[in-house]
Formats: sequence, structure tokens, C-alpha cells
Amino acid sequence: MVSIDLNNFWSSAFQDLLVLVGYILLILVGLVLAVSYLTLAERKVLAAIQIRVGPNVVGWFGLLQPFADGLKLIHKETIIPTRANPFLFILAPILTFSLSLSAWAVIPFGEGWVISNINVGILYLFAISSLGVYGIIMAGWASNSRYAFLGALRSAAQMVSYEVSIGLVLIAVILTAGSLNLTEIVEAQKGLWFIIPHLPMAVIFMISALAETNRAPFDLPEAESELVTGYNVEYSSMTFALFFLGEYANMILMSAMGSILFLGGWLPPFDIVPFTWVPGIVWFSLKISVLLFVFLWVRATFPRYRYDQLMRLGWKVFLPFTLFWVVLTSGVLVTFNLYPGS
Amino acid sequence: MPKLIIDDQEIEVENGVTVLQAAEMLGIEIPVFCYHPKLSIAGNCRMCLVQMEKSPKPIASCAMPATEGMVIHTQTPMVKKARQGVLEFLLINHPLDCPICDQGGECDLQDITMAYGGDSSRFGLNKRAVPDKDLGPLIETAMNRCIHCTRCIRFANEIAGVPELGATGRGEHMEIGTYIEKAITSELSGNMIDICPVGALTSKPYSFQGRPWELSSTPSVDVFDAVGCAIRIDTRGREVMRILPRQSFQINEDWISDKSRFAYDGLKYQRLDRPYAKGKDGRLHPVSWDEAFNVIADHFQHLPGDHIAAIVGDMVDTEAIVALKDLMNAIGSPHIDCRQDGSKIGYGPRSSYLFNTTIAGIEKADFCLLIGTNPRWEAPLINARIRKNYLNTGLSVALLGAPHELGYPVEHLGDDPLIFEKILKGRHPISAALKSAKFPMLILGQGALKRNDAEVILGLAHKIADKYNIVHQSDPWNGFNILHSAASRVGALDLGFLPGPQGYGVSEILKGAAQKKIEAVYLLGADDIDVSSLESTFVVYQGHHGDRGASVADVVLPGSAYTEKSGTYVNTEGRVQRSFKAVSPPGEAKEDWKIIRALSDHLGFELPYDSLNDVRARLVEVNSLFDELDTIQKASWEDFGKEGTVLSEPFKATIDNFYMTDSISRHSVTMAKCAQEIQGDEQRNQIHEK
Amino acid sequence: MKIPLKVMFLKNFFLIELFQGMWLTLKYMYLKKKVTLAYPYEKGPLSPRFRGEHALRRYPNGEERCIACKLCEAICPAQAITIESEEREDGSRRTTRYDIDMTKCIYCGLCEEACPVDAIVEGPNFEFATETREELYYNKDKLLSNGDRWEVEIANRLEQDAQYR
Repeated sequence: MVSIDLNNFWSSAFQDLLVLVGYILLILVGLVLAVSYLTLAERKVLAAIQIRVGPNVVGWFGLLQPFADGLKLIHKETIIPTRANPFLFILAPILTFSLSLSAWAVIPFGEGWVISNINVGILYLFAISSLGVYGIIMAGWASNSRYAFLGALRSAAQMVSYEVSIGLVLIAVILTAGSLNLTEIVEAQKGLWFIIPHLPMAVIFMISALAETNRAPFDLPEAESELVTGYNVEYSSMTFALFFLGEYANMILMSAMGSILFLGGWLPPFDIVPFTWVPGIVWFSLKISVLLFVFLWVRATFPRYRYDQLMRLGWKVFLPFTLFWVVLTSGVLVTFNLYPGS
Repeated sequence: MPKLIIDDQEIEVENGVTVLQAAEMLGIEIPVFCYHPKLSIAGNCRMCLVQMEKSPKPIASCAMPATEGMVIHTQTPMVKKARQGVLEFLLINHPLDCPICDQGGECDLQDITMAYGGDSSRFGLNKRAVPDKDLGPLIETAMNRCIHCTRCIRFANEIAGVPELGATGRGEHMEIGTYIEKAITSELSGNMIDICPVGALTSKPYSFQGRPWELSSTPSVDVFDAVGCAIRIDTRGREVMRILPRQSFQINEDWISDKSRFAYDGLKYQRLDRPYAKGKDGRLHPVSWDEAFNVIADHFQHLPGDHIAAIVGDMVDTEAIVALKDLMNAIGSPHIDCRQDGSKIGYGPRSSYLFNTTIAGIEKADFCLLIGTNPRWEAPLINARIRKNYLNTGLSVALLGAPHELGYPVEHLGDDPLIFEKILKGRHPISAALKSAKFPMLILGQGALKRNDAEVILGLAHKIADKYNIVHQSDPWNGFNILHSAASRVGALDLGFLPGPQGYGVSEILKGAAQKKIEAVYLLGADDIDVSSLESTFVVYQGHHGDRGASVADVVLPGSAYTEKSGTYVNTEGRVQRSFKAVSPPGEAKEDWKIIRALSDHLGFELPYDSLNDVRARLVEVNSLFDELDTIQKASWEDFGKEGTVLSEPFKATIDNFYMTDSISRHSVTMAKCAQEIQGDEQRNQIHEK
Repeated sequence: MKIPLKVMFLKNFFLIELFQGMWLTLKYMYLKKKVTLAYPYEKGPLSPRFRGEHALRRYPNGEERCIACKLCEAICPAQAITIESEEREDGSRRTTRYDIDMTKCIYCGLCEEACPVDAIVEGPNFEFATETREELYYNKDKLLSNGDRWEVEIANRLEQDAQYR
């Protein structure tokens, strides 16, 4: 007879749960803070590139600006259009936001610093980021507004198109890393970051990430001049804020993915003494920040794509090229017997 | 038939046609100020200068008859320079106050200066100043703007027949005016505003009210007399801003009467804008449409059909008349009448109540006998045609009836109806003139037809027509004319809105009401009856003004005035014309036929039409001549009238006050001012002359 | 100059022009002096032709200039102006109503151009935000009071600009 100490079991499970909730809260608060400062950073970077100062009134250098913005949004009235579908209308931003948060469950912030180190982490990430389109489609349809609907349609088509190339980019990386587990992918880059062998893939990933997050120059779903901000045109107050947070959280997520897949995650650039003293999370944050800066920099530099150009780029350039690269990668790996586990 | 060449195009024209007219036929535009196709040629503005080969100077094309072999150029540098010079001269003394001028935006001087003028003036001295004249309550003057085209003088002398305007002084000191300060005593004076090419004469009631580009125009038909003048209703938003004539060679040429033009402000006052019903306290209280209809239905249901009567007024459209007729038929009442003034025509053939000669046909006549009518007030545009004929051919006119100044020489035969019999028997001096005339015409007015012996007079007129060859057998000349003064009359007669076999006419209805034989009366815009005898009767008044009819009504149904509905009218010639809705009726008021249609539901006889097209189809069903718009269908010449003795009572005038004849003009402030000033003036003059 | 196709392809493939553009914007980020004005405390210079809030002017003797010619109403491309006019007791042509819907106005300045008597002008004031929409429906009183308030500056600006007209 094996006796199980039930008391002990429950208490340990409860403890685990508490710790987990703690982690989640930590990530959540960090993420929301990061998002709010990303908005400030965006305004500052855009201002700098346009030879302006940017927000500088609220707090030192405008550091309290995100809180002022947040307070303003909370104080506004949530308007539900008369002929909208209220249930879906409210559900859409919640869905978008919670999806963008849930992806962080599998992101390793440092060695072992991960909430759920699952073996199919990269598939999970991919799945979650694909689900984001539902929030947008729901918002566009439920608003019962032609601008919102057009924006949602564009957004859906765009996201579906660029997921294809992102998927193939991922395959190239997975082939090289030999694992679907994000921690192992990072570990696999110990000697050489994947950005070196997979430079074209890194660029394609970055461009696709722009399209996936509906950022300039692929911000067609929002196109202020044509669609008056597209799917979220009918949203106000917190419902709008959730979309906004979700969108920016997605940007950070894509940057995190980019640094995990190509820039070696939490790994220092050189495995020598002064660099290894710095904790992995700092490197990881730094890499994310660099990629986020690229997001903003690109927005400040390039004008919006035309829709047909966008589709052409996705299907006629990226798809064949990534496909070719997957074949090339696997060919090289097999030919030179380099594939992991060999 | 001279042939000439204008701008390299050859044209052959009739003798007497001017170079300007020939150019017009070729579609070549020559700017003019003083020339007007309906007036005599003055040639004093010099705007129409063109170059003629072999002539050292430019010629005034409006005054130069076309002759064989002329070669005219209208686009040469010389012509351009001449036009610029003329305009520079005209503008020397023109104040250029276009921003405050009511003509601004539709001004000939403005347009022509833009098109043909130079860019600056070399005149540096002070402009002249001319004191403004007081031309009465209709015409606002700004004599600084006058360019002395003399169109207004010629209009007054030629068309209106009141030679009251003239020019005094010469050159820079020339002034247009009445010499003594007095109102123009013409009922056509408003047309001077239209023909003035600048803003010297503008409309006083419309003064500073609006701009031509703000107005939207709706073509319509005038209802203040039976001529059916073509008018244009200019509106801004929900308001009628002004009324202008539309060109119609068959009816009013370019003119309309002052009443048609200026009485529109009556549409703003004393309007019925919601239904009313009499309460227990004997006063009218506002009610809803349904309540008003229910009150009517409660009363009508307890009455036998032949205790209900209906009278149609003078400004009602035929759509409403046919609807009311169908309703009364359904109720079973034979007591319907459209002749609220009590005239006794309508039972005979169509030729017995039409102006058979047609208005344009007047120009062909060579003798005109007026009986019991004052065309100047009853139909100013017909009077203008008679005057036109007088000016062109020296038409001789004789009048049997109350004397009145008509604007052309008239041989007054007296007002004794027995003279009429004498003429028939050939024992009157005028008989010879009548006999020798080739195209004689005879106009019977309402003054003759309202009388008790009207049918006898009608019979006499028929005999005279037969005897003196007034109606030709061979060619289509028919000189027998009835002159109506109510716009709705011919249409109503054509629809048979007349008492049935046992039916009562207007006077019998009123009498019957006193004797309780008639217990309910439906007045459709009928105000000009003796309403005092209806006080104890149940009266439904449907119309647009709170006038005489509404004052005795138990239920008031607000209808729409002629500017507020699309209607079909038949003028005194028998011409079917259609007007269009220019503005919406005020408040809860509705189109008249719709009210009758809705009432029929409450009475339990649903009338079978739901749209304007359905009603118009019904009109055609009742009388097929409603199928053809804007044409005259010739009425055949048949027997009518009665034998009998003529009463010795003299012919009386039917209109005492031209400016106030109906519910709209009675409430018009402008018309009240006219009546006060102009008519007062005229009466004073007449007393003075006597 | 025709670029060979091969060079074009390589240029496109390596995203040369994109990186050039990004380099340019990056240079702006660090090399240029900022041009920002701290708005409520610092203000930029205004041209005499600046088209701000509307005003109806008066003559020096206090008589309003507007003569109700309605040319501004006619030319207004946004149809923001509504005028009703009447003869005043002294016989002059005046407006009884002069409304500008500032929410419709596009500040094109055509009303000012059209005015024959310099009555309606767009003054130098651009700080007239309101808390309610209704306050932006200007009537004649509001416009005249604007004119009275800004007259000195408006006259000065018109004078400065007059030589170029």
C-alpha cells in the first residue's frame, strides 16, 4: 500500500499555483508597463526622426505621459454603436488582448525563466499569433460600419498571407535548431546566432512581423487616410485601449520571437567574461528593444504600401524565397551531415 | 426678301427685319440694352454696334433694316473697340454698387460688361447723382443706376397703355420719371422691373430679400385670373421669394399682371396650417386630422345625401375638383356648383363657355365688342393683347357695360342691356361696323353672365354671332368669347361640376341652407359667397386661408395654395396646363385631393385613387381633353342660350378692386398698399375729371 | 541614365534603397537641431494672410461694413455661411442674420476674398476652441464682437498685405 500524503500534495499544488500566479502577474505588469512605455518610445522616436521633441510636459521628459493617456482613456465613455452586435463588439478587444498576453507563457526570458517550457513552444506561439486575426475580424463585423469591416477584411487577408512566410521561416530555423522548444532553440545558438546563416530569413521575418502586427508600412487595415483607422474605428475608451495594448503587446511579442529565433535570446553576444556577467534577461530585453526600435524606425521612414503591392510581396516574393531557403537549408544540413542529433 | 451676309453666313430674311434680328436667327449674339423684341425700336443705347462693309462708321444693328447685299461683321477689332467704348461711357455714371443692388447676378449691364467690356475707366471725375423717384408700392427705384435705355418708358406707352413715364432733360441731365411724383397706375407695371436691364427699377416687396443664385425656380401656372399665365415661382427654402413671368407666346408673351407677381406675400399670412373643429363653446379649436374627419363623418352619416352640398372656389385645381365630385356622387348629393359668383353658364356645348378666339387669336381680329366686362381688371393680359392689336392694326373696340379706362380708345355704347337687342336687330350704329368687319370678335364678361337673364343674353349673343358672321363656317375663325375671371372655372365646367337634374346652384344652396333643406355644405376654397346665410348650417371649409369661408366653418381642413401643389388648370381658352409644386404647404396642411381622398375613407366610400397619377388618370376618364396638355381643342359651334326678354337692369362691373379679388390677395400687404395708393389715385383722378 | 537590369536586381534584392532611406531618417534623429515650439508658451510667427477666426468689421464711425451682398455666402465652398437680409429703417441694405457654422468652415479665405467692403475677414486668432459644438455656431453678434476685439490687429495686417494685392 502506498500512502499518499494528501495534505502535502494539496499544499504543494497550492504553492505551485501561487508561484505561477505570481509569475503571471509579474509578466503581465511588466508587459503592460512595457507596452505603455513603448507608446511613449514610439512618439519620442518618431519625434526625434521628424526633428521634434515629442511629449515632454507630463513628468520629466514626458515620462508620465503613458499614465496620462491611460487615465484619459479610462475616463472616456465606452460607446457601443446602436446597430452593432454588443456581445461580439465587447468580446473582440478582450480576445485580442488576452491572446497577445497568453503567448508570453512560453517565452523564455532567461535560462529556465519560462512559465511553461513546452516542447512545441514555437507551434504554440505560431498558433496564438494566428488567432489574433479573429479579434480583428470580430471587431470589424460587430461594429456594423463599412470602414471597420473593410479594415478587418484587409487585416485578415494580410495576416493570413504573411503567416505563410513566417511559417516557412520558422521551419528553416527549426531545421537548424532541431527542436520546437524555444529554450532549446536559444541553446542551439550558443556558438552562432541564427541571424548569421539565416540573414535573409531574419530580414523576411522582420518584414513579415511588420505585416503581421499591422504596422507601417503595412498598416493598411488602419490606413487613417482611407479607412479612418479601420477595424477599431467604432471603439472608444477601454475597448479601444485593449486593442491598442494588444497591438503593442504583439509588437513586443514579435520582437521577442525575433530575438529568440535569430538573435540568441538571452545569450550574450560573446561568451567571454564581461558579457557573461550581465544576466540573460538584460540581454534579452536589450535585443527586444533593438528590434522594437527597428519597428518604429521603419514606421518613420517608409510610406504605406498599396494593397496589391502588399499581396504581391507576400505571395510572389516571400513565399517562393522562403520555400527555396527551406529546401536549401535542409539540403545543406543533409549534405554536410550537420543536422542536429546526427 | 433681302439677302445679307453676317459673319460669313448668308441669310435671307423678310422685309423689315433688322440686322440684329437677322443675326439672332443665325444664332449670333449681339449685346443690347435698349432693344426689346416686344417693344418699339429706340436705338439709343448703342450697345448693338456692328461693322458694315462700305460704311465708315459702325452701325446700330437694332435699328438698321436688313437690305440686299449687306455684309456685316460682329467680331472685328472695330466692333470690340466700339463695344468697349460704349460700355465705358455707360459706366461713367453708373454707380457700380452691384453688391447692394438687387439686380446683381441677373443684370444685363453686369453680364455684358463682363463679356464685352474693357478693364478700367478713364473717367476720374464725380459721377452724377439723380434723386430716386417714388413710383408707388411696387417699384423701387435707384435712378443713379439708370442707363436711359427707355425700355420702361416704351413699355408704359406701348404695352401698358398708361403714358405716365417719360424722360426730362438732355444728355447728362436726362432723368426718367413721372414728372410729378405719382404711382404708376398700370396693372402691368411690375413688368418694367423685368425689362429694366440694370437695377434702376427693382421690386419693392423683394427689395434686399435675396439673390438670384439662391433661388430655385419652379414653372407654374398663375391662378389669380382665368388667363392661366405661365409663371415661374422662385423659392428659397420653404419660402416663395418672388414670382416672375415665363415666356409663353400663346398666352402672356413676356408679361404678367401685378396681382400675379406681387400677391405671393399673402401666402404668408392668415394661413390655415392645421385642422380645426368647432367645440361646444362655438369656437374653432385645433384638432388632429383624424378628429376633424371623424367630426365630419359623424355629421354626414346622419344626413340624407341630398341635404349635403358642395361649392368649389376660384383657385382650386382640377384634381381636387374631380375628387370632390366623386365624393359628392358617392354621398348621393346633386347639389354641387363651381360658379360661386352665380354666373349661369356651363350646360351648353364647350364653345358656350370658352374664349374661342384664343388669346393669340385676338391679334387677327378687326373689331371687338366687349359686353359686361372690364378686361383690364378681369384679365390684364387679354387686355394687353387687345391693346397690341389696337397698336398694330388700329382695332376698333366697342364696350357695352360699365365704363372703364382700358388703355386704348373704346366706343362706349352705354350699359343698358337692351342695346344688345338693338345690335341684333341691326338698329344700332355699331351694327354697321360689326357687319363690315372681317374678323369680328365678341367678348362676354362675367358682368353679363351673372345676371338673372344671363341665359337670354347668351342666346342673344349666339344670334348676333350667327348674324354678323362672328363665327366663320369655312376658316377656323370663331369670334365668340366668354371671359372668365376664375382660374378653376373652365376646368370645373369641363368636369361637369354643376348641379345635377334636381340639384341646387350656389344661390339655391344658400337659400336652402336658410330653409334647412341643406344641412351641410362643403366649401372647397369657396370664399366669395354670401357666407352669412350659412351660419346655422354645418360647414366644412377646405382651403388655404382663414378667409370668409373659414369664418363660418364648423370644421376647417387646411389645404395647399397654388404654389404648394402640382395641379392641373384649364384657362379661359380651354387650354389644359399643369403647375408644379414649388414649396411645401405650411404646418399640417396637405394637397387638396389627398384631403378629400382621406375623408372618403372616413365616410366609407373609398375613392379609387392613391397617387397623383391615379387622379390624373381619373381626370382623363371624366373628360378626355385632360389628356392633352398645353393645346387647345377646338370647340364645335352649336346651339345654346335661351329665348326670352332681357331685363332692363344695367350691366354692372364685377371687380371693384383689382388688387383684392381672392383669399390670397386679400391677405397680401403689398396688394393692400396698391389698393390704397394706386386705386385711390385713380379714383381721385376720375372724380377730378368729372 | 539607364541602370542595367542586373544592377537593378541586386539593388532590389539587397534592399539597398530601403537601407539608404533608413540611414537618412536615422541621421535626422541625431544630427538635426529640434524645431519644436513649446506651443502655449512659445508661438510661431503668423503671416498677415493667416486665416484664423472670422470677424465682421465696422467702419471707424461704428457703422457695420457688411451690406448683405451675399457674395461670401455664394462663394463659400463649405456652405458654412447663412445670410438673411432686409432693408433697414434708414433704407440701407443690411443683414438681419449672419451666421457662420465654424464646424463646417474650412478656412479657405474665399469669403474674405469675395467681400467687396472688407467686412468679413479671417483674423489672426486661432485659439477659439470651445467646450460645446453650439458655441461654434457663430452669429452676427459674435462676429461683430470679434471684429471689435481684433480690429487693431486686423487693420494692421490688411495694411501690411495691401501692397501685394
